[in-house]
This record gives sequence, structure tokens and C-alpha cells, in this order.
Amino acid sequence: MSHKVLRISRRDFVKLAATSAIAAGIYPFVNWAPYTAHAAGEKLRMWWWGEQEAPGLEKWVKDSVAMFEKDAGVTIEVTLQDTTTVISEFQTASAAGNAPDIQFLWNGIYHMESVWLGYLEPLNGLISDELLKEADATVLSIYQGKQYRLGWYAASPMWLYNKEMFDKAGLNADEPPTTWEGLLDACDKLKSKGFTPIVGGLKDGPWGEWYMGHALGPNLDTPAEALKLFIGELDWREPKYHEHWTKLEQLWKAGYMNEDMNSIDLYPGMDYFGAGKGAMTAIVIPTLGKQAGMLGAEKVGLMVFPAGGKGKMNNKPIRDLQGLGISSQSQHKEIAAKFLEFLHTPERVQAIWTDSKALPTDASWDGSAIEDPLFRGAWKTWVANPDAVPYISNLMPVMFWTDAMFVNSQKIVAGEYNGEQAGENAQAVATKWREQNPDLLEHYQIWAEDLKL
Amino acid sequence: MITLGWTESARIMLRTKPWTPYLYLAPVSLLMLFVFGYPLVAIFDFSLRRIRGASGPFIGLENYRQIFKDEVFQQAILHNAQLLLAVPILVLVGIVLAVLLYERVAGWRIHRTILFAPFIIAIPVIGIVFSNMLSLNGAVNELLRAMGLDFLALDWLGSAQMALWSVMAIIIWHEMGFGVVLFLARLLSLNEEIQEAARIDGAGWWQRLWYVTIPQLKDVTEFYAVVSVITMLAWVFPFVYVMTRGGPGNATMIPGLDMYQSAFQNAQLGYGMAIGTLLFFAMLVVTGVALRILRVRT
Repeated sequence: MSHKVLRISRRDFVKLAATSAIAAGIYPFVNWAPYTAHAAGEKLRMWWWGEQEAPGLEKWVKDSVAMFEKDAGVTIEVTLQDTTTVISEFQTASAAGNAPDIQFLWNGIYHMESVWLGYLEPLNGLISDELLKEADATVLSIYQGKQYRLGWYAASPMWLYNKEMFDKAGLNADEPPTTWEGLLDACDKLKSKGFTPIVGGLKDGPWGEWYMGHALGPNLDTPAEALKLFIGELDWREPKYHEHWTKLEQLWKAGYMNEDMNSIDLYPGMDYFGAGKGAMTAIVIPTLGKQAGMLGAEKVGLMVFPAGGKGKMNNKPIRDLQGLGISSQSQHKEIAAKFLEFLHTPERVQAIWTDSKALPTDASWDGSAIEDPLFRGAWKTWVANPDAVPYISNLMPVMFWTDAMFVNSQKIVAGEYNGEQAGENAQAVATKWREQNPDLLEHYQIWAEDLKL
Repeated sequence: MITLGWTESARIMLRTKPWTPYLYLAPVSLLMLFVFGYPLVAIFDFSLRRIRGASGPFIGLENYRQIFKDEVFQQAILHNAQLLLAVPILVLVGIVLAVLLYERVAGWRIHRTILFAPFIIAIPVIGIVFSNMLSLNGAVNELLRAMGLDFLALDWLGSAQMALWSVMAIIIWHEMGFGVVLFLARLLSLNEEIQEAARIDGAGWWQRLWYVTIPQLKDVTEFYAVVSVITMLAWVFPFVYVMTRGGPGNATMIPGLDMYQSAFQNAQLGYGMAIGTLLFFAMLVVTGVALRILRVRT
């Protein structure tokens, strides 16, 4: 076995050192390396959610990851999260310094708290302004001018009605009610024909949140008004802000809702509609296919909840969507951003619809691939409609969901509260939230200023 | 095989240093201290902070002050106290059923299996099944209506008046099997001659139960009562979470669920840990009192 000795002269050493120093010095300023070479071998993690509401998305995610991995030479480990741990898992991992690079994010407060904790990276600068605008994640994803989510697929809340039942009750099946009086009249006629006018399930709570999102918003002029109810500048006890609960009480007492509302959960309650047991129900867009499949698409009509509000947001469809963001702890922010950009290439955007029948939210997607008139109508009015308004329940702190939105609706249906008492409870919960979260209150005040715009 | 006489064993023991046994116990003791002690200290520390992420500013007893003025927490405590009413029911039903099995009623082996079966079924499964069965149009009410008992077809879980009692009934159904097995095991170890003597002396079934059997079950009864109290204070969370989520309104809210919602849904970990600390001390007091009573009696 022979040993070769590497001989370097002093001159060679100085040359080598100088070349290395120059290379190291200019590297940060001249990023000439092709993207794939830069990213090769890196491993990213993506935590996501969505298969639960839009079956088929898992295939889309896996296909997208496989394509990107092949092109970019990186590895992306994907984890489908459980509904109950989407927020807490990300925040806990972030607190432990072990956050995934890419995270699924619900809208509004559900990711804004992570923004305030410094766990999310602003996407401005990482992703082109053009794409940030095109894949708009709604105004509720912006804090102090920075955007923290990229839109993915639509999750707009809406109402369905049964055209056949409307017909049988002597109502115009092509023109659902648009005023509160019109709704009461429709409910009355439907009930007199033996139909349950409105169906839903309240036992697990979220129907209470949906109802408030549909019925309080129409009494407001801007989303900022909803935030002021938490800051303390406005009061839930004002009739304007609890009138929607008074109206819920009115619907319940008139027998316009399924009597077992408090003893069944949200989705079984919604399925009453698909099963032909009720004339109207609240849904979110990703569940439209299921309901139409159960009842028959030709019998399903789409409507904005006619809350009869007096604000500028009255009678406007609500636009909400799911999104993805990048962790501030990611060591691979640029690659993560490239991946998010890849997800918004025309072929991938089209595949969202093809694979899962979820509606993409990119402005560049023209919806021409939607042949079904029902989905086309939903896309036109609740996704691609510039007049649509944000979902105000997304602005409420989680404590308000559990202690006010859920509780108030359940207590009204249980006969324990009237609308006024619900308003008092909402005010008490908002006060409690302020006392327990003085630090978040400051962020809310800034956010309210943002939303005035 | 080498056997040592007692003198040799005693000599070895005398040679052993007094601290040697502690040395052997030290690794496990340290592990136990870490596993149980560290979380307790961390929970208490968290309860004094406004936690955001992994830590947060020290705010003293503010979380506790907020808890004591919170109506939801007060209701939760009241509901937990109401659930304690299940303890005497569990003890009574457990004894009666164990005695019936002990006396080998027809099919007692099958009955024993049927009575114990609920205890081994996972609580989420029980919760989901009963949620469906007890809904307003669920199997229970459909059966009642079919029998012409419409007036009994109530909204078991959807009514604020009924929900807590319905949850309690399901907890009793689930926990009862453990008590039956405990009492039966004790009965099987009793001296049958005493029963026989009582029978010869002309004691009836009730007299034998009251004056002969139950007094001999005293130690098991006390143990089971203590375990049941702990169950009702600390282990009812999964039942409530799966069946009602604390609703309707807050009609079935309990401190454990309040803690969970605060810590993991409302992202107020410090507040949630303060509830946890209060629950821990409440458990210590209750268990301590129960053990004290046991020790005094024995």
C-alpha cells in the first residue's frame, strides 16, 4: 500500500485561499446557481388539512409533491392533520422550535394568532406580488400590510334550498327569499305543507358559529365593526349586534327548525337536507357535492341567507377559503415558496377541481372546466365574485366560539335564552376575553385599523 | 443450589451499609421524580404565567383570580359535585348485583360477563353509540314511542335539564362492572360457614345480606368508594367530551373540559393549567380525606 503525499507550495496555498475568499464573498450577491442545484437534497415538511372536507385532495397533494420532488430534487414529507389539532399542533411545534416548513392555515384569527406569536413568515418578498394577488387569501390574511397565507380552495359558507319543496309549497323555486319577511313567509308555507323549513345540528356547536357568520354580518358595514365588539368600542347588548339571536329565537319558537337540533351534530343535521328531510340548510362549498349527490343536483338551489340586515354587508355572498403559509422557523423558506408557487401553476390549479371537486380560488382560473350548473353558480357567486364579503366569524377569538356562539344558539334552542340574554352573554364573554388577553387586545386593535381599509 | 441459614443472612444484612438500599432505589426514584415531579412543577409554573407559545410573562395569581370569577367554571364545579351522586349508586348497585351473582342465579356466568363488558369497551365508542341512541329521534326514543310511551321520549342529551343526568347514567353503566367484579371477588373469599350458620339460625336473604355479607365487604366498599370518587372527579372528561362537549349551553360542562378548552382550543395554556392545578389539589384533598377515614377505621 503506497501513500501519496499532497504537496502544496506556499504560492499555491495563497492562491487557493484568495480564490475561496473571493468566492465566499461574492456568493451572497450573485445567486447564479440554477434553482434545482440550490435546492438539491433538502428535506421539507408540510402539514396540511382538507381531505376531511374535500375527498380527493390527498391525491392532489401527493401528486403535486411527487412532481415537485422530481423537478427540484428535494424531499417533502407530508402529514395530514386531524381537525382538532390543526392549530394547536402547529403552535406547539413552533414553540418547541420544530415547526413544519409549510402549514395549512384556516382564515382569520386561526392563523393570525400564529402571526402575532411570530410563527409565520410574511409571504411578501418570497412570493411574487402578482401571485399573492392572484391567489388572494382574503383581507383576513393581511396584518400590517403583510400577507401570511396563499389561497388554496374555496370554503365559502352558503345556504341550500330544496327546489322541489319550494315548488310544492307554492313558492318560486327559482327565486329564494331575499328578505327576513320573505324567509318567514317561505318557512310558514313550507311548514304548512308538512316540510321542516330549516335543518341543522347544534350539539357539537359549530352550527352556532355558521349561523352568526350568516346573520350578524348583514347588520355590519365592515368586518372591522365585528372586531370593535371585542376591543370594547362596541357593545353586544346593542340590539343591532344581538338581533340575529333574536331572529334565531323567532325561527325556533315558530317551529321552523328541526326539533332535534340540540341532540345532533353539525354534519348529520346538514345531511337531513340531502336526505330530503328539510327545505333549507347551511353548508360550506366543499360539501355541496355531497348534498347534491344525495338529493339530486336538479333539486338543489343556492341562496344567500336572507338575514334582513341593515348594514352594507347585507345580502352579500360570503367568500372564504383555505390556505397555506410558511413557518418563520423554516430553514428552506425559498424552496417552500417555490413549492407554493408550483401549486399555483395552471395545471395544478386545474387539478384541484379535477381531483377533488373543490373550487380553486386563483383569479386566473376561469371556471370553464365546471360543467355542472350548480357548481358553476356556486363558483360565480361565492368564489369569483368581487362583491363577496369576508366571513366575520373568522374574526372572533376561539373563546367566543365555545362560550358565546355555540352556547348562545344551544341555549336559545333549549329555551334558556332569548336574543337579549344571548347579547348579554356575548358581552360578558368579550369582556372576559379582554381581561384574560390584554396582549392580544393590542393586536386586535391594530388588526381593526387594517380592516377599515 | 446454595442455601444460607438465617444466621448467615443476618450477618450479610449487618454488613450492609444503611444507605445501600437507598442507592438501589435511587435510579427508579429519580426517574419517578422526573416523570411525575417535573410536569407538576411545570404545570404550576405555567399557571402563574400568561403563556404564549412555550412561555410567557409572570402574572402571579391572575389566572386563579379569573377562574374564581368565571361563571362557566362555577357551573363546572357544580356539575362535578352533582356527578358525585353517582358514587353511592355505584356502590349500592355493585353490591346487590355481586350478591346475586354470588348466589348463582340462573345464567350467572353470562350475567357476570354482560355486567363486566361495558367496563372494557372504549369510552369514545360508548360515547358515540349512546350519542346516537339518545338523540331525540334515536333508538331509545323510537323504542319508547313504539311502546306507546311517548311521554318518556325526551331529548336526553339535547335538553339542559336532562343532559347531565343522562351522562351520569352512562357513566354508572360503564363503571358498574368494575365494582361488581371487586365485590364478587371479595364474596368468593369469604368463609361460607358464617353464611351457613346464619341460614341455620333462620336468617332470611335480606338479614343475611345486611347483617352478615355487607359488614364483611366493608374494606372493599371503602376502596371502591374512594376509586369512584376519583373517577367522578378526574375521569369523566372523555364521556362528556364525546357525548355533549359540555352542552347544551354549558349544561354538562365539567372542570376537566373547561381546562381542555382553555388550554388547547382557546390557546390560554396558563389559564388551563391553573384549572389543572386546582383540580390536582382538590384530588389530593379528597383522596387524603378518604385515605384518612380508611386508616382510622382499620
